[in-house]
Amino acid sequence: MSIEQADMLHGVGAADAARLIALGSRVHVSTGAQLFELGSEAHGVYLIERGRIALTLPMRIGAGQEDVLVEERTTGQMVGWSGLIPPHRFTLKALAQIDTDVVVLPRAPLLEFFDANPAIGYVVMRNLASVVGQRLQVFQAMWLREMQRFVETRSS
Amino acid sequence: MVMFLMVLCMSVFGLAVCGLAFGAATRGLPTGEEAALTAAVDERLAAVPERFFVRDAAPLPAPAAVLVPKVPIEVFLAQIERHVRLEQAAAESFLSAPSLESLHGRTVSPLVH
Repeated sequence: MSIEQADMLHGVGAADAARLIALGSRVHVSTGAQLFELGSEAHGVYLIERGRIALTLPMRIGAGQEDVLVEERTTGQMVGWSGLIPPHRFTLKALAQIDTDVVVLPRAPLLEFFDANPAIGYVVMRNLASVVGQRLQVFQAMWLREMQRFVETRSS
Repeated sequence: MVMFLMVLCMSVFGLAVCGLAFGAATRGLPTGEEAALTAAVDERLAAVPERFFVRDAAPLPAPAAVLVPKVPIEVFLAQIERHVRLEQAAAESFLSAPSLESLHGRTVSPLVH
């Protein structure tokens, strides 16, 4: 699978996708290395060209704190959409689970490209909405399942 | 009559003893000694917090519930990871076919049993 076929670029022609990818730069993230930190400023989005990224949140366990896996993203998927959505702060921490290559697309040139090519911007933003919406729906369902268990525990 | 006089005498004697005891208890200290004692009492009162019955320090927030796993931390983290994966799979299954049953379907996660 080539990076031009990434989920963020579904529906974008190959030539336009290549132009868009050319705005970014390729970065290698070694196994266990951090791609971005929770709460840090998000300057762009990341397309995973190869590898796997774990998205984690911190949790207090015993006297310490541990990163708990929340989601995994793999080849062709995007991470770090906080780079395009205000307040541009990462709400998760991203770590490479295996050696991973990503394309970093910085926000400013990306938005300029969308302004100049609104049709492409529309398609990309629709794909982004789909990624964001999917996560929202999954977590909504997970939260409700947890609530259901809470209610059952309290009423038993 | 004799009995009456005896009770009267005893009462007058008792009253006199009480009067002497009261006088001894309320007699003032010598002037210098009294001033020193007053100063010492004032000093101690000044040191007492104004809100005697209220804690001076703001109440501490309730300590966060500390989750202490009964198994080694690596095992516990692996259990959480498995739980998250199973829950996500269950949630995604609900999204592909939304229904009450698919939303609340059980998983084999050890953390919910």
